[in-house]
Amino acid sequence: MANTLGYGGMTNHLGDMQNSKVILIMGANPAVNHPVGMQHILKGKENGAKIISIDPRYTKTSAHADLFARIRTGTDIAFLYGMIRYIVKNNLHDKQYLDERVFDWESIVVEAEQYTPDVVANVCGCTAEKFLEVVKLFAENSPGCLIWNQGWTQHTIGTSNTRLGPIMQMFLGNIGKVGGGCNILRGHDNVQGASDMANLSDILPGYYPINEGSWKYYSGQWQVDYEWLKGRFKTKDMMEKKGFALSTWPWGVIDDENAANNAGTPLKALICIGNGISTITMTHKTKEALDKLDLVVFIDPYVNDAAVITDRTDNMFLLPAASQVESSGSVAATNRSYQWRSQVVKPLYEAKEDHEILFEFAKRLGFYEEFTRSLKNGKPSYEWPEDATREFNRAVKTIGLQGVTPERMKRQQENWALFDPLTLRGSGVVEGEYYGLPWPCWSDKHPGTPIMYRTDVSVMEGGMGFRAGWTDKGPDGKPVVVAEKNGQTLLAVNEPAGSRFKGGHLEITADNIESFGITLTAEEKEKVKGKNWKNDNTYILVNKALEAGLCPYGNGKARARAWDWADQLPKHREPLHSFRQDLVAKYPTFEDKKDHYRTNIRYASEQNKQNWVADFPINVVTGRIVEHMGTGTETRASKYLAELAGEMYAHIHPTLAKKYGVDNGDMIWVHGTGEGKIKVKAVYSYSVAETDIFMPQNFSGLWSGKSLVDKYPKGTAPYALGENSNQVTSYGYDIVTACPETKCTLVRIEKA
Amino acid sequence: MSRMKFYCDDYRCIDCNGCVVACKEAHEIPVGVNRRRVITINEGIEGKQKSLSVACMHCSDAPCQKVCPTDCFYIRTDGIVLHDKDKCIGCGYCLYACPFGAPQFGHEGIFGVKGVMDKCTFCAGGPDETLSENEFEHYGQNRIAEGKIPMCASMCSTKALIAGDASEVDKIYEYRTAKRGDNTSLKPYGWEAYNNGK
Ligand code: SF4
Ligand code: SF4
Repeated sequence: MANTLGYGGMTNHLGDMQNSKVILIMGANPAVNHPVGMQHILKGKENGAKIISIDPRYTKTSAHADLFARIRTGTDIAFLYGMIRYIVKNNLHDKQYLDERVFDWESIVVEAEQYTPDVVANVCGCTAEKFLEVVKLFAENSPGCLIWNQGWTQHTIGTSNTRLGPIMQMFLGNIGKVGGGCNILRGHDNVQGASDMANLSDILPGYYPINEGSWKYYSGQWQVDYEWLKGRFKTKDMMEKKGFALSTWPWGVIDDENAANNAGTPLKALICIGNGISTITMTHKTKEALDKLDLVVFIDPYVNDAAVITDRTDNMFLLPAASQVESSGSVAATNRSYQWRSQVVKPLYEAKEDHEILFEFAKRLGFYEEFTRSLKNGKPSYEWPEDATREFNRAVKTIGLQGVTPERMKRQQENWALFDPLTLRGSGVVEGEYYGLPWPCWSDKHPGTPIMYRTDVSVMEGGMGFRAGWTDKGPDGKPVVVAEKNGQTLLAVNEPAGSRFKGGHLEITADNIESFGITLTAEEKEKVKGKNWKNDNTYILVNKALEAGLCPYGNGKARARAWDWADQLPKHREPLHSFRQDLVAKYPTFEDKKDHYRTNIRYASEQNKQNWVADFPINVVTGRIVEHMGTGTETRASKYLAELAGEMYAHIHPTLAKKYGVDNGDMIWVHGTGEGKIKVKAVYSYSVAETDIFMPQNFSGLWSGKSLVDKYPKGTAPYALGENSNQVTSYGYDIVTACPETKCTLVRIEKA
Repeated sequence: MSRMKFYCDDYRCIDCNGCVVACKEAHEIPVGVNRRRVITINEGIEGKQKSLSVACMHCSDAPCQKVCPTDCFYIRTDGIVLHDKDKCIGCGYCLYACPFGAPQFGHEGIFGVKGVMDKCTFCAGGPDETLSENEFEHYGQNRIAEGKIPMCASMCSTKALIAGDASEVDKIYEYRTAKRGDNTSLKPYGWEAYNNGK
């Protein structure tokens, strides 16, 4: 998304779905994963919206859809191209929108040409008629909203899915529109906040790239010396190199060849804070890595399931962390809204809030003073969590967190009733603010941006164009911001309402600001010399731009072609372990990729190693169940939830079950393409295709038929234990983000 | 005066069990006793899968009360059907009389010492002193006395489950069906409708 539109955030918000005329849900199951969010979808339906569910399974969401189409996992791109082809052929595309706002959309039309309804039907496994029904219903109703979540991202081609989704939406002019948009639903509260704050290994907070410029910017923000900061790293190269990903780190421990990508050493220690690492694919590899490390630390309110999986007997520590009700501060919702959370009770027993644990680490590691300097920001002491919020208000300019101040958030918390759920607009004391100040919120006068990329409202009302800061390789090999590519402009042809400058423009810098009809005094000029909108601590550039109705990051075109990517245009590629071996030659995967998040990743060599489907003839879909959250660590410790969903199972179609002589309720062994195997109960269900089984991802505590209950520290075992489905999910990682391939997996089963 | 009623909107219920857990947490109900349950029929069958949350319907002409040999049931003026656990002898007649399977006979604790019936109270407590510890121990919270609606409805994810004064519940129902514009209010609310897939 970020590489197509500019930002990776959900474009609209949940309440806005009530304004939609058609809602396409693909790779998502909100009735299970976002039950409260589902309320808005159902209200939208009552308002006349048609609901379309496209899924390998007939889910609880599908049960509320007007139209359901079952497709094979991992074939969304073929489906989307088929839609685009139909839309263009029938002149249903918004040509003016595309011309004004989308770079190189014409190439997409060419690429889409091959995806005729028959090709879509063959690749996706639905009928051509069903496909046509979907595309007609979606394209002929406006505005249309598109919803996805992990069903799209957890694939080798996940990033191509999340590019083609918005591109398809732009063909219909649905982005930057009330009731339209690309609504990626985040997995739980503050996922958006975690990525905004860079709980990722390839960025700094606010998505600043990890290069020298950003590190220098942040050493200024953190008020520490850049050289000192650099000295904390082994080399400058390592400082600017992407780290391991959540999915790839085990390979940094167990595969010696990756040491070369990691400054010459394998990984030796792991600190895991608030992360269910047992839900990553190939859990048996996670176990192997945990067994091999020198030191393992888990920081969690509950016992992390991974701590139970490992056989290690020493050098593993469990630090009890406070839960959400025992801590306070800002939390970002799926739609980029920030809300203030108050502490309900003080941490119980010896639990500590996360930041306190980190501060204790910093003290013992000898950099507590530097670590907290910018929290104090010149004062003798700091106030938690307000000063942490103020720190990101000052530092994170890229996504416009300047306006998301603790004072505004607290006032909103006291005045929930004054916001309209459909528009998020506040009234009374919160007039002039949208609920949660959804970013970008450019200043403490800015209302926030509930719907991104709208040009029918002014920037001060939440309007904006697409990103204008696309970069290309300069002569010295370093990225430079460019205004055109292949002879085509990257700047928009229209502008947000009320903009004093007509047409597109590059991001605001001290050098170009006056060319947009804005004047600076000599003193202002001096203050902002050499700066741009995202590193100017005086905010003069941003505020002057806002006054003139200009968006600080510029006004550019979305890009249909990502020229710096392996697949410049999204391409359908068969999964590494494809259910359709006959399609592998036509839609092969990528070449193997070296040093991808410090790991050498197999693509083609894994896909071609054998005819996988011959030995592993069953396709697997995994996902959450409504009673359990993530790994289920917390929810399986609830006696009521354990009562409702206390046992791991595999949904199997009766027709498939018959082939294996499996009765409803029989135990079966499920073998993955790796070495993992699990023993689960077969439960008959018509919700899965006759080729597939479905397994929940939320269980742990049983391991290949053996109970691990004795390994939990006394009194901490959850009520419900079960086999971990990720022991049998296959190898595979997204080509850009290294997101694990949980959704295209093959297995073989046998009656236990 | 109007009567208190539950209504579960089958067009909205998504089988999330939020209502069930809300009820159990609120009243600290032992595992195994279900004052409220969510029923899903035709699971996985396209166009026919439906879910509905059910508890005691607080019948106007309550069959449970009719058959109880110790006359432990009483109907409040607002229509909430309650019973007196001190009078209950656990014969189970009410379970057989109830068309919804609402009465529960658990095995443990005061909620269901074998022989004592427990069921949904519409969050209105019981015959013990209002808002007393005793009342909570025997019957759970008394939210009605506090001017609140039952916990299940207040926590329902999609507002499928609505509870309160029947005339207000009816207004919400009418509003939603009018908006859907497909005459749902004229269609039978029962298994037959489900089996036809609409
Ligand atoms: S227990 Fe059954 S019969 Fe009695 S009021 Fe409730 S639903 Fe009606
Ligand atoms: S909480 Fe609401 S939507 Fe969920 S199961 Fe209960 S009635 Fe249905």
